[in-house]
Amino acid sequence: MKEPANPAGSIAPTVGVAAPRTIAVDLDDTLNNFTETLRHGQFPYDRAEALPEATFHRYLERIQNDAPEAGDLLSTEYSFCRYKIHAHCYRMARARADGVEFMQRLQRNHWRIVICTQRDLRRANDGTRAWLKENAIPFDYLFMALNKIVFCKAWGIRHLVDDDVFNLAHGGRYGVNVYYPIMPKHQSLPEHAARGFQTFTEVERWIQE
Amino acid sequence: MDPRVSLLKEFSRGFTHGTAKVETEQFGFPFLDRLLSDGASLEYGELTAVRLLHKYKLVNISERRMDELLQLHITKECNVCRYFDASANDVFCFNLDNNHKANNTVVIPEMNLALHTLRNCLQGLGCEPLIVASGRGYHVWCRLDEPVENSRLYGFMLRAAVQALMAFHGTAYDHQTIKFNFYPDVNIHNVVSLRLFGSDHAKNKVFSRVLTPDRLLGEAASWDYFGDFLRNKAIPPARFTAAFNALPALL
Repeated sequence: MKEPANPAGSIAPTVGVAAPRTIAVDLDDTLNNFTETLRHGQFPYDRAEALPEATFHRYLERIQNDAPEAGDLLSTEYSFCRYKIHAHCYRMARARADGVEFMQRLQRNHWRIVICTQRDLRRANDGTRAWLKENAIPFDYLFMALNKIVFCKAWGIRHLVDDDVFNLAHGGRYGVNVYYPIMPKHQSLPEHAARGFQTFTEVERWIQE
Repeated sequence: MDPRVSLLKEFSRGFTHGTAKVETEQFGFPFLDRLLSDGASLEYGELTAVRLLHKYKLVNISERRMDELLQLHITKECNVCRYFDASANDVFCFNLDNNHKANNTVVIPEMNLALHTLRNCLQGLGCEPLIVASGRGYHVWCRLDEPVENSRLYGFMLRAAVQALMAFHGTAYDHQTIKFNFYPDVNIHNVVSLRLFGSDHAKNKVFSRVLTPDRLLGEAASWDYFGDFLRNKAIPPARFTAAFNALPALL
C-alpha cells in the first residue's frame, strides 16, 4: 500500500530508523474467552436499565446467541443493551495464560505490538486498557478495525493472530499471515492459508520463519 | 495565523485541552510517528469502513501542534473533533443524526420537523443556535458567555429535545428514525467528540455548511455567519437561567 504523498501536511517528517517487526493481535476469543463468558456468564437484571425485565431477558437470549440487530435502524434499545452486555464480558473474560506469556515474549524481543479489535473503542478504550494492564499484557498501539485484513495490508503488518473466519479466508490473498486459535466454528471452512494453533508457542515459532 | 484558525480557537476555548480526534485518510507507522512527534499520545486508532479513512484519538497535544491540526482542518486535509470539558462548558450541542443503517446522509422529513421545532424552541427562549450540516444530520450549537455545569446543560438539552419530539405527536412520523445525542453528555464526556465547524466531512466530503431558517449557506457565507455567531450570539448567564426555567421539567 502506497503511503500518501504529503503525510500530515506541515508536520515534518522524521529521520527514518529501522522498522521493528510488527504483529497485530486480536482480543476477543484470541487472548480471552469472550464467547464462553457471553454464553455462560451471569447478567442479572438491573431496574436502572430502563427496560422491562421480560424485554431484557428476551434481548439477553438473543445477544448470547449473537443475533444481529433486526430492522433498519442503527441505535436501538437492543443495540444499547448488547453494548452493555458485551462491555460486561470485556471486563469479566479470562486471559489465556499462554497468550499473556506470548505477548510478554514479543515485547522482550522488541516486536511492535498492535492490539487490533472490532470493539467500539470510543466506549471500550478505558476498560480495554484496564483489562490489558490487569493481565500484564503489553502492547504499543490499540486499534479498532472492522476489516483487519485491510488494516494489516495498509499498515504493512504481515502477522495477524485472530479467530475471525473472514480473516482466515482472506489473509493469504493479501499477504497477511493469519494464525488462529482452533475453535469449533473453524471446522468445515473452505480452503485457506491461515494456520490454526492449540497453544501460542506454535505461533511464536511460525512468526520467526 | 489564519483568521479562521483564530475563530476555531476562540470557539474551542472551553474544550478539554490537548485532546482531539483527528480524521484523515493518512495512515502507517511513519505517519503516526510524525503525528505523535510533539509529545502527543495515541489513545486509540480506528480504520473506518469508509475508504481508508482513519481516526486517531490523541491526548497531550501541544498548543503548537493543535494549531497545525486546526490549519489542516480548514484546508480540508483532516477533520479535527474536540472533547467537551468534564465538568462545565461554554458551548453545548444537540447532535441530530439520521438513525438508519443505510442511506443515512439523506435529510428525512423527521429531521426537518425536529430541527424546525428545536430551532423555534431555542430562539423562543432567547438562545440563538448555530445549525451546521454534519453529514448524517445537523449539529445545533449554542454558546454561553460563561461555562455552565454539565449536568445543567444536559438537563436543558433533554428538556428542549422533548419539546422538539413533541411535534411528532399526532403525526405519521417515527421519532426513532432520528437520533438525538447531547454534548456534553454527563455519562460519556470523555468518550464522544464533535467535529468542529469549518471542514469537509471526512466521509462524504461535504462542507459543514450553516443552515439558516431560509437556506443552506455556501462556504464563505458560512464562515461569515460563524464569525458573527461567535461575536454576537453568546447567551448571557441570566438568559440561560431563564431559558432553563421556562422549559417544562421532566418527570
